[in-house]
Amino acid sequence: MSLLSVENLKTSFGSVNVLAGVSFKVKPGETYALVGESGSGKTTVIRAIAGLAPAQEGSVKFAGQEIRGLPERALRPLRKDISMMFQDPVGSLSPRLTIGSLITEPYRIQGMKERDLDAEARRLLQMVNLPAHFVDRYPYQLSGGQARRVGVARALALEPKLILADEPTAGLDVSVQGELLNLLNDLRERLGLAMVIITHNLNVVRHVADRMGILYLGRLVEEGTTHDIFETPRHPYTRCLLSANPEPDPDARLNRIALKGEPPSLLNRPAGCEFRERCPFAQEICVQIPQWEVQDGHGLRCIAPLTPEVTA
Amino acid sequence: MANSRSELGTIIRGVARDPLGLSGLIIVGMIVLSALLASWITPYDPVAINIKDRMQGPSLTHLLGTDQLGRDTFSRVIMGGQVALKVALPAVFGAMAIGLTLGMLAGYGPKWLDNFLILIFDTIRSFPTVMFALAVVALVGPSLQTVVFVVMATSIPTYGRVARTQTLTLRNSEFILAERSMGASMARILGVHMLPNIIGVLAVLAAMDIPTVIALEAGLSFLGLGVKPPTPSWGALLKDGYALIRQTPWLVVGGGLPIIFATLGFTFLGESLRDVIDPKLRKNR
Amino acid sequence: MTETLLEIDNLSVVYETSRGDLKALRDITFDIRRGEIVGIVGESGCGKSTLISSILRLTAPNMRFRNGEVRFKGDNLLMASNRQMRDLRGSDISIVFQDPMQTHNPVISIGQQMVDIQHRSSASVREKRARAAKMLGFVGIPDPEARLNQFPHEFSGGMRQRIAIAMALMSEPDLLIADEPTTALDATLEVQIIERLQELQREMHCAILFISHHLGVIAELCDRVVVMYAGAVVESGDVREIFHNPKHPYTRRLIECDPGHFKERARVLPTIPGEVPDLADLPGGCIFRDRCDRAMPRCASDVPPLETLKEGHRAACWLNHEEVPA
Repeated sequence: MSLLSVENLKTSFGSVNVLAGVSFKVKPGETYALVGESGSGKTTVIRAIAGLAPAQEGSVKFAGQEIRGLPERALRPLRKDISMMFQDPVGSLSPRLTIGSLITEPYRIQGMKERDLDAEARRLLQMVNLPAHFVDRYPYQLSGGQARRVGVARALALEPKLILADEPTAGLDVSVQGELLNLLNDLRERLGLAMVIITHNLNVVRHVADRMGILYLGRLVEEGTTHDIFETPRHPYTRCLLSANPEPDPDARLNRIALKGEPPSLLNRPAGCEFRERCPFAQEICVQIPQWEVQDGHGLRCIAPLTPEVTA
Repeated sequence: MANSRSELGTIIRGVARDPLGLSGLIIVGMIVLSALLASWITPYDPVAINIKDRMQGPSLTHLLGTDQLGRDTFSRVIMGGQVALKVALPAVFGAMAIGLTLGMLAGYGPKWLDNFLILIFDTIRSFPTVMFALAVVALVGPSLQTVVFVVMATSIPTYGRVARTQTLTLRNSEFILAERSMGASMARILGVHMLPNIIGVLAVLAAMDIPTVIALEAGLSFLGLGVKPPTPSWGALLKDGYALIRQTPWLVVGGGLPIIFATLGFTFLGESLRDVIDPKLRKNR
Repeated sequence: MTETLLEIDNLSVVYETSRGDLKALRDITFDIRRGEIVGIVGESGCGKSTLISSILRLTAPNMRFRNGEVRFKGDNLLMASNRQMRDLRGSDISIVFQDPMQTHNPVISIGQQMVDIQHRSSASVREKRARAAKMLGFVGIPDPEARLNQFPHEFSGGMRQRIAIAMALMSEPDLLIADEPTTALDATLEVQIIERLQELQREMHCAILFISHHLGVIAELCDRVVVMYAGAVVESGDVREIFHNPKHPYTRRLIECDPGHFKERARVLPTIPGEVPDLADLPGGCIFRDRCDRAMPRCASDVPPLETLKEGHRAACWLNHEEVPA
């Protein structure tokens, strides 16, 4: 049974269709990565799930219960089970509160005053490998990595079942990214958490995600296990994304597949396959609108998908 | 929670380090102190009439001379300071508190509330203060409370608009979004997360506003719309002194000089406060 | 042997703060030759912003040059007058910044800004506009003549960065400083910009000082690499040498930590534990000591000098002394 089930989620801001029908499922304990670039709508998806952005159509079910469009009062108890991590590590921490207050905010908001908040604060800091005396520090005194870990601690405070993480490694130096990802993996295993991670960094995805979906212009174009997608990507956009990550090796063979042009404006969605104008493999039949098809757990929206020979 | 006591200490130290801020602190300190101790330090009873000694110039017994009823001008000046603060402080802080609350609601609440509150702010602002004072005085008669009310009411839009702008700016910050994602209520978001971040700007505004309010009270008293005689007020002193300026200029000096000093002192303090708080605001953002 | 264009020679810069001197740059030494692309690899706190400020002499009020020289075409820029620096900036030395949104004046059209940059030229406005349009075409902006009249907000982030590069190259500078120009962009845009930079560099033969923490981009673009950590140069050399044969533990660990390094999912990712040291309160000895997995007792007491290990390859590490026979 899915923990989170998103079906045909649509969001528009005025006449701009940011999400044109996104569907995916997440099982308990699973990590799902939503990969996309600017304009793909990935941030809107996660915010819509959390009730922070509107969604005009579609369904979001958590543990079987429909939560799309629920009023805030009804959502509040669910916030124990679904928590979020934000992209800006320091900016997502209220600047005038101490770290101790910040990570125990969830308790206060949920009215759990009877708990020993001091003890909880220390326990949470320890869980993310931060020293106990950090309870008295302020966000501006923290490095990006430390602030990021405070964000993790806060997200874990009420022992949620699902964490929504927005670019968890953004702003982190490469040398400390691993630390955070290891922490997330470790906590995931220990606590049986499910996670939805949104990112444009495929390298991160490879190491933390079980399954992944590629978003383009507010729609999924490909979905599958991380292993499958990395080994046999079938959508040209996926292929371009994968090849856009240069290796730290000057002699690496560059089998880059370059994208043409820029992402189109959301006000002016292209006809037919929306990726057609930039696709290096576009063919004539791509003027037809591709449908979503699933085969062996691998979903694809493409009329002329890449064959394994091409992707080698 | 945020360690406000040590933060206040840091701010005061920052202000004291700046020469202008230090002079502001000293002047304001003197005014506040003399206002607090007025009843004890006035050499004479400010309202005691003594026709025998009327219209005297400055001397060792009467530092600033006496007025047309023989009242000691210096004592009246000191008591006038107490009156000035009795009007300015409640009026300004009252306006700040109300303006802050309304401004935050306007900036964070639903659009109809915002539109409604802006309408109220603009309506109040479009009323000339003196007309408004006249109307209120005509209804309830002149008194200290009337002046406080008039001044407070007319100041609310200033704080309201600034609070609203600050709230609008911070409303879409990641940390506010984070609080919403945890289910924080509007009251909590405004009270715990917005307020501490915008109070600094309002405090600076308040410090700069006090001299305006003092001058306003003086102006109203000068027009006879302020505190009732024989309560001494700097404006009342100016009013009496204006008519008697050929016989004795010392009443005008006694009424005018303190207003100048108060304005300078609070303005220096306010500017220095702003310089101290501003980099902190920028750093914390 | 191509001539040296920029020489940073033992540059030491501090910021005076209430906590004492922040030693932001210590004995920085490297050079850039004409037409060469040199990459600076560094993470937060490595001093790259201070380095750029020093080269361009766009200094903060509490910045002090304690030692060293910045020689551009032989002249020490630290001794140059403000006027001379103004003449240099934007003509001989240009810069592209990280944030494409901050670079452009939002209320002036792109065309106007590109004409204004050419203020030193005596050409007519029409000629200047034509040059601007040509430059926009060069960086891949479609329909350049028409777009000259548009404003920055009408362009996407990727396009704005390309415009920034076009503007920086208009004066045909000898040196282009690119400060994390692609960090704020998506990966697919990043590779487009990098390829464009490579083409332009081949055309115009300018030298590029490319600062980034994306190791993959550095490996692809640069001829030589300088690795900085906490205000010091820890290693420098040819790009192949640095990536295939790193001689400093930080360089080695950095390459190992780069997620692009892995072909398969790793159970546990490598990381460099600890934090960058406080620049106002430096530990004794090697700056990397407390995060190094191979530190020796000597590392705590003596600062290793930046020494040449073989032609063009320098590193500051006592381990290299162990390997070289006495």
